[in-house]
Amino acid sequence: MTAASSAEKATRPLMTSAPTPLAYIGERPITRAAFLADVQALAARLPAARAAFNLCQDRYHFAVAFAALLLRGQTSLLPPNRGRTTLAEIASQHPDAHALVDGPDAEIDVPILRVSASGEAGVAASPIPEIPADQTAVLAFSSGSTGAPTAHARSWGALDAVTRQAVACFELQQGPGPVLVGTVPPQHMYGLESTLLYALLGHASVLAERPFYPADVRAALSAHAPAVLVTTPFHLGACLRAGLDWPRPQRILCATAPLPPETAAQAERVFGCRLDEIYGCTEAGAIATRRTTAETDWTAYPGVQVFGTDAGRVRAQGPQHPEPVPLPDHIEARDPHHFRMEGRLADQLNIAGKRASLADLNRRLNAIPGVLDGVFIPPAQAADGAGIARLAALVVAPRRSSAEIQAELAQCMDPLFLPRPLVRVDHLPRSATGKLPRQVLLDLLARHGECA
Amino acid sequence: MASQTAFEQEVARLIVDSLNLEDIAPEDIEPEDALFREGLGLDSIDALELALAISRAYGVQIRSDDENNRQIFASLRALSAHIEANRAAS
Repeated sequence: MTAASSAEKATRPLMTSAPTPLAYIGERPITRAAFLADVQALAARLPAARAAFNLCQDRYHFAVAFAALLLRGQTSLLPPNRGRTTLAEIASQHPDAHALVDGPDAEIDVPILRVSASGEAGVAASPIPEIPADQTAVLAFSSGSTGAPTAHARSWGALDAVTRQAVACFELQQGPGPVLVGTVPPQHMYGLESTLLYALLGHASVLAERPFYPADVRAALSAHAPAVLVTTPFHLGACLRAGLDWPRPQRILCATAPLPPETAAQAERVFGCRLDEIYGCTEAGAIATRRTTAETDWTAYPGVQVFGTDAGRVRAQGPQHPEPVPLPDHIEARDPHHFRMEGRLADQLNIAGKRASLADLNRRLNAIPGVLDGVFIPPAQAADGAGIARLAALVVAPRRSSAEIQAELAQCMDPLFLPRPLVRVDHLPRSATGKLPRQVLLDLLARHGECA
Repeated sequence: MASQTAFEQEVARLIVDSLNLEDIAPEDIEPEDALFREGLGLDSIDALELALAISRAYGVQIRSDDENNRQIFASLRALSAHIEANRAAS
């Protein structure tokens, strides 16, 4: 008997039994029991498979799809962008995958199931389901520094662990709980953790809509109090520049790129609440936080440790990581619980909060039929104040037009990484060793600008 | 080539200036052509940037749940018409 019970698999509940509604669709609250009824109804319709794309844009639809896949033991595939080539590449790795969608325009060649749940399927009377802790809940994708896209698996137990750490840090583990007003998509690890899992596993509510323009964010904050604004430096900057009067949220959470302390101070002043940044990456998920107006160093989530290695890469490990995870940034560990982020590793790009590997982008450019040689050129520095600095590209492709090359690139990368400008040249100024010195590329780019 | 109205010229200048489209002249934007993807190739970052510029210049707040948000940004002509209509209403 003892042996049998110790061999029994550990499980974690699908959600907490918090009194907080699981979600709001507009201003209509959806109870956890009504959500569970939607989840069970969708789970019963899912085809047999090991994995599925969750491409739902509405955050409530995404939540129902995510939970239904968990119930059926299927893994959610979270693609880094919606390019046709990107989706096809991931699909080829998961031959039996289907896709859950709620919009019109997913260009994907797998069986499609539409999600239209709206909290009106009834009220589930069953107890909250338990999910095996070692079940692979999601696969998120990053472009590794080698240039090959890498899948990062998260078990349900790992997602449960990181969410417990975060809700303890951000005071979301009890009480009535705020509405999570998120400008980030749930397919991103940060968006998944902080706009869905805080509600599922803590005391907070998902907001079905995804506010985008500053006026949307203001409307959502006006309709929901208390609220936590979950955003990025890019979106926060846009809200601050919009010059609107803002309702006071309970807190602002910000991630995807470091926020300048001056912007953090301005945000706390304008919104009248504290701002906490989260440090995370696709590889490790969220692992640390800081109140940017008060501290420069990051404090690891409770239970997470950071440590340096011989190779200079800092690794992190918490209960959510089966083994230490190398972090994709240049980091100096102060002690096991504190670190300073000094910058990105040379190959890593971050444009408006989206990460990519330069090697991966170059590989994709050179894989386009008719492109004989080509190279992306990162912007010198993030443009100050307004505007986002973009990549440029020099391409040798005598038989392909710029528009054709742009169209091919758009199928395999986020639009943010499309080159501006894309300049066609006769040949790249490679050195004797085949290298492309940055200054030589910049000179060539500037010369072209003068001729244009 | 369809010609731009006086107000479309003004909005075209705003688009080029606010998005730093160095290699495009305002008068080259075809009034009926798509602004996003296959046309000028603008993306969501540009949409947000452009919304900020429009709110500063004309006091018109763009919203996602505006009737036909896609329609508003469909072309220079559609965008100019939306701004004019909402500026007049306020």
